[in-house]
Amino acid sequence: MMRSKKLTWALALPALALIFIFMILPITNMVEMSFRTPGSSEPFGDDYTFMHYTRILGDGYYWGVLWRSLSTAGIVTLLCLIVSYPIAWHLSRAKGFKAVFLYACIASPLMTGVLVRNFGWMIVAALNGPLNESLMALGIIERPLRLLFTQSLVILALVHVFVPFMVLPINNALRNIPQSLTEASASMGASRYQVFRDIILPLSFPGIQPGVILVYVLAVAAYVTPALLGGQMVSYMPTLIIGELTGTFQWPFGSALAIVLSVSTVLIVVLFTRLTWKLNERARA
Amino acid sequence: MSMAAKTFGGQRHVNLGFAVLIIALYVFLLVPVVTIVGASLTNGLMIEFPPQGLSLRWYQEFFARQDLVDGLLMSLRIGAITAVVTSAIAMMAALAGQALSGKLSGVFQLGMTLPLLVPELLTAVGLLFFLYKIELGKTVAGLQFGHILMSFPYAYVSISAALRQVPSSLEEASASLGATGWQTFRLVILPLVMPGLAMGAIFAFINSFDLYTISLLLKPLGGNTLPLALFDFLTYEFKPTAAAAATISIILSIAGVGLVQKLVGLQRAF
Repeated sequence: MMRSKKLTWALALPALALIFIFMILPITNMVEMSFRTPGSSEPFGDDYTFMHYTRILGDGYYWGVLWRSLSTAGIVTLLCLIVSYPIAWHLSRAKGFKAVFLYACIASPLMTGVLVRNFGWMIVAALNGPLNESLMALGIIERPLRLLFTQSLVILALVHVFVPFMVLPINNALRNIPQSLTEASASMGASRYQVFRDIILPLSFPGIQPGVILVYVLAVAAYVTPALLGGQMVSYMPTLIIGELTGTFQWPFGSALAIVLSVSTVLIVVLFTRLTWKLNERARA
Repeated sequence: MSMAAKTFGGQRHVNLGFAVLIIALYVFLLVPVVTIVGASLTNGLMIEFPPQGLSLRWYQEFFARQDLVDGLLMSLRIGAITAVVTSAIAMMAALAGQALSGKLSGVFQLGMTLPLLVPELLTAVGLLFFLYKIELGKTVAGLQFGHILMSFPYAYVSISAALRQVPSSLEEASASLGATGWQTFRLVILPLVMPGLAMGAIFAFINSFDLYTISLLLKPLGGNTLPLALFDFLTYEFKPTAAAAATISIILSIAGVGLVQKLVGLQRAF
């Protein structure tokens, strides 16, 4: 407050430059790249064209991959919410050393690389791995299941990757609900289920909404998990995009794919925000 | 409590069911990490869990593999530079952010966390073209810039949270006693935000150490970070050496989380 305006902007300058030069400019650059003609010796040509977009939108194959990416991310987000909500609730009630321990359990996957965690699932889901062994020991299956390189394993691993991103905002929202409110309604004869449905769930919505959006956006564009656990048979948009950029060096076409993916994601997020706007307003009231 | 338990007949069952559910969910969270650490200690020739006998032979094997060790060294070097540069820039930006108010402050916060909110894939693709254009394509410097950008929000969020805890009256008192802005910063603010600053640096380091997609696209000629080397290793040879490599990065993360806990307490960290 006492610092001069000039000093404030001088202090902000390096960070603003970092984000402008190495993020805003490059992403703008990518938009431009998607309209370039393909190059012969270089990764892109000199002229501009719409051909990459017409090619993507006119080809059922790309629609299929886009749908697979968008729907897989939807399933991941939903499962993530189901898994995260009880954890967030439990965490919001914990105090003292227990709370610290639980935070560490949730933060340690967040702090371990995605690649490392996915590799862990490779071992767990192997043909003679612990998951198959325990399912057989429990008599649920007779022969080991082939889990590696299936869509189910990709979904499982992605849910695991994004749980912390969902738990933390919901936990914050739950902590903001005054305990007196739930106690009051319980003392007035509401059952546990009613308290949850009518008070806790609606009031935690301001945490659910950002969690859902963040997880969806990140899940749509996740590359490592489908690349490592998805196998060669199925493509997702991110693996396709990186393939175009590093394998075949079709930079303009790869950019167009990335833009189609981003625009679809933004549309879905906008739609979701519109649909859930009322729920959020109700929580604020 | 006992009264309540009597009134709601099934409550005890509900509580028990919830406890089982919570335990199952935490097991789910920790399973991959535990499995890797276990598998890295095997004495057998294959990646498996539970391990066949215990030994450290695969760690020996890891340190004998030039490609993996080079990857580890490169990740450590890039992570260290990222931590130092990022926390310095983020400290300055946090001071600036604190001075802003109203709508501008909200926009500024959003801008500073942008690299975290936009998928890494898009940033990586954009940077690939941009670095090529400014002739930093496939260089260590280019990769370093990418890592600094991607780790910046973690440092910024930690440091500005710590800065918010410093009462502005302290700053005013220091100024009214005749201290210059720099003296106030160095003698009053810096010591108070030190834990937050350290936490920001640690988070930036861990994040840089784990980045994959951006490193894949900006990979310098002839250089690999540890995650890149590990991915290649997993594709061509599926041996417990990989579990040892992964365990080394898990240990680094746990050490980081432990350090943050020691410095500030985890609850305040998130």
